[in-house]
Amino acid sequence: MPQPAVAFGGPSPEHDVSVLTGLQAVRALAAIGRPATALYWSRSADWFEVDPDLEAGDFVEGPPKGASSVRLVTGPGGGFVGSGRLGRERPVEIEAVVNCCHGGPGEDGTLQAALDLAGVAYTGPNVAGAAIGLDKLAFAGAVAAAGLPTLPRAALSADASPPGFAGPYIVKPRFGGSSIGIEVVQDWPTAQALARTSVHLRRGAMAEPYRADADDLNVAIRSHPSLELSAIERPLRTTGGAPILGYADKYVGGEGMASAPRQLPADIPDDVAAEVRRIASAVADLASLRGVARLDFLYDGTELLVNELNTIPGSLARYLWVDPPLPFGRLLTDLLDEATSRPSAHYSSAGADGSALRSAGSIASKLG
Amino acid sequence: MNAAATAAWLVAGGLAGLRWLRVAQAEHYLPGAATRFSYRWWWGSGPENRLFVIAAKIGAVPAYLDYPVGALTGAAALAAGPIGLGLKGRTSRLAWTRRMRTLAAVWVALEAAVVGVGAVAGWTLGAAALAALLAPVLVDVACWMTAPLERRLAGKWVTQAADKLARAHPTVVAITGSYGKTTTKAYVAHLVAPSRSVVATPRSFNNRAGLARSVNEHFAPGTEVFVAEMGTYGPGEIAEMCAWVAPAVAVITAIGPVHLERMGSEDRIVTAKAEILETAGTVVLNVDDPRLAALADTAAAQGKKVYRCSAGGVVADVVADVVVLDEGAQRVVVVAGERVAVIDRDDAMAPTNIACAVAAALGVGIDLDVIARALPTLPTPDHRLAARPHQATGATLLDDTFNSNPAGAARALSALAQAAPEGRKVVVTPGMVELGHRQHEENAAFAMAAVRMGAEVVVVGRTNRRALVDGVTRAGGRAVLVDDRDAGVRWVGQHVGPGDAVLFENDLPDTYP
Repeated sequence: MPQPAVAFGGPSPEHDVSVLTGLQAVRALAAIGRPATALYWSRSADWFEVDPDLEAGDFVEGPPKGASSVRLVTGPGGGFVGSGRLGRERPVEIEAVVNCCHGGPGEDGTLQAALDLAGVAYTGPNVAGAAIGLDKLAFAGAVAAAGLPTLPRAALSADASPPGFAGPYIVKPRFGGSSIGIEVVQDWPTAQALARTSVHLRRGAMAEPYRADADDLNVAIRSHPSLELSAIERPLRTTGGAPILGYADKYVGGEGMASAPRQLPADIPDDVAAEVRRIASAVADLASLRGVARLDFLYDGTELLVNELNTIPGSLARYLWVDPPLPFGRLLTDLLDEATSRPSAHYSSAGADGSALRSAGSIASKLG
Repeated sequence: MNAAATAAWLVAGGLAGLRWLRVAQAEHYLPGAATRFSYRWWWGSGPENRLFVIAAKIGAVPAYLDYPVGALTGAAALAAGPIGLGLKGRTSRLAWTRRMRTLAAVWVALEAAVVGVGAVAGWTLGAAALAALLAPVLVDVACWMTAPLERRLAGKWVTQAADKLARAHPTVVAITGSYGKTTTKAYVAHLVAPSRSVVATPRSFNNRAGLARSVNEHFAPGTEVFVAEMGTYGPGEIAEMCAWVAPAVAVITAIGPVHLERMGSEDRIVTAKAEILETAGTVVLNVDDPRLAALADTAAAQGKKVYRCSAGGVVADVVADVVVLDEGAQRVVVVAGERVAVIDRDDAMAPTNIACAVAAALGVGIDLDVIARALPTLPTPDHRLAARPHQATGATLLDDTFNSNPAGAARALSALAQAAPEGRKVVVTPGMVELGHRQHEENAAFAMAAVRMGAEVVVVGRTNRRALVDGVTRAGGRAVLVDDRDAGVRWVGQHVGPGDAVLFENDLPDTYP
């Protein structure tokens, strides 16, 4: 009987956090009697099957001791394949993959596409949902086009012309889910200089107005068994006076997002909470939500703005499901159910009925 | 009776084989190392081991003549020694890797062949004794025989690594030098990291297999800059690595008498290191060494972009592009005549390493202002002159145990002087190795310099004991002799206190006497 697999790590700035999420998921599945295969994606993008009982520290130096190399093969009979006895290939039997790979190719549609082509079921967003979730500029554009409130965003590069809004600016990598590489700058030339020199902005950058007065509000959304929203969270900043919620606030010195300081549920007026819920449901539809996502808002006491969507959130946002309580094992079971019952890929050749081919004549005549 | 004596020699030979296999592993399976080390251990590590080896050789004579009685004592002497070279080891443990198992199997086959031929000729006991005494030589023969096979096996990993690099085509910075490689590599990675995604080879992995392993295990697709450290034990090795790593920027940090034992002469070292420059379009050279200054001129004549790096003021007629001046506790970084940064730190960073790293970062295309901002936070690699307080005694400990070259040792001494201007100063060292014909002279000179600046010298082990004691005595001091590093640490614990400073200079694996 194939068992679930948990995929974590990946060649992403969020590799380490992803290992934490993955190991939590493996343990939670074991605790409800569903032992899982642990699939580690290394910083150098190689796959390994590892012992599910490893600790986070075992991954500091790279693939842990005893990791056995596997490959992800697409095509019929595809999936994860290891080497068995006498050099023969040994398929890793998998029911579905719980995708815990934050950021980078695990969250931008790359891994999703590979798993689709390999015929492996997986949790979380499909290719399109992942791609729009990790592209902050495209996501904000879609939100604005749907008439939902959000901050204006502009593409930033070394020679980009100033946007239609004034500074100070908050500068972010265009693709990426964490706080890595986010900086607040006073003026546009500084933002341009940052785009030229910062390693985090080399694959694309964006800028938006910096709202010092706004707090974050987060809510988790899941799509299965039916669309459901978690309690609303207000994360608290620990590094006094820092302009933004930093990477260290979220991840260093704890078990990841699950142990960061917060107000849960957030102390906000009922009408604001209702508005959060209305917008979150609309965004779930807009971004073809699958699995469990976390939607982040900015709220300054009067105005509520959509900020970012995390389609594979830290700790899979398990800590937000407090009212009514949803155990992590239950959340994972529902994710796996959805993975196996709701296909992630829909390929269609409807309309390609051959009529264009029949009437085409010779290829040479088209080139002439 | 004969059978018992034969068995005793076979057991003694087996134990000897384990010892010399471990030495071969610690010395990177270089053919010749086991025999060289066996000579060093038996004859150069104290009177008791000389007695044992003489007893073993005399005891082998009755065995050759087929008299079992005397032969037993010879086997016992061989099995017992050399005293100090353990079977499994403490610091440099015997690891049964795939390569070690192959080597051991070939060695067992060679031993069996010697004994088997003897048995056929009716000379079993004599052959068993001969095979046992030849154990280190046969280990070397096994190393030599397996070398082509190992090269072929490593080739598979090299191909994989080369493919990975070719797909990602990063800008490669290749760094070599007799010393300063690992530190400079860490500096380059630090200066490049704010602006580009960068991967550097970990620790001191710097040969063909180590480089391939670094790429296969640590290189992420999409990495923009790869910093590769390259070491060499002979001509052709660096050229071979450059063929598949394809450096865009090549750096030579320094030339010195390191690995002289294997390389022969410093001129041969320069030639072997210069291979790194051949395919790179940008070269970075420490021109304080006139031989590297000459290479810089050659490279410039070939139309390469050349960065000349210097600690300033040594070579008068050379204008350097990057100069790092040592002004007391400060390092002042000067690029193209402009002061761009001041590093205000009291650790003894070598100015030329900093200069080479700055030039390499410029060669990669990093903005000078980004480099200048990153300079004050250059990392201090572990065990390379890192200073820390000693909990038990309150003294300052200077850990320079990864250094093994005379220039670095001299810099460490000046750091020691600064760390305890008033207090007691102690140097704990087994001395430096692989310095060929200069080993005695260089170690004696180091010990002399230590005593002249007011330090006491604790000599660890026997490898360089004579040279170090010679230097200490010539400078009018008295050396403290200890058997191993642990004994040195204990001595320190009993003899220093607050305000004092202790320099641990170099460390040798326990395969050295």
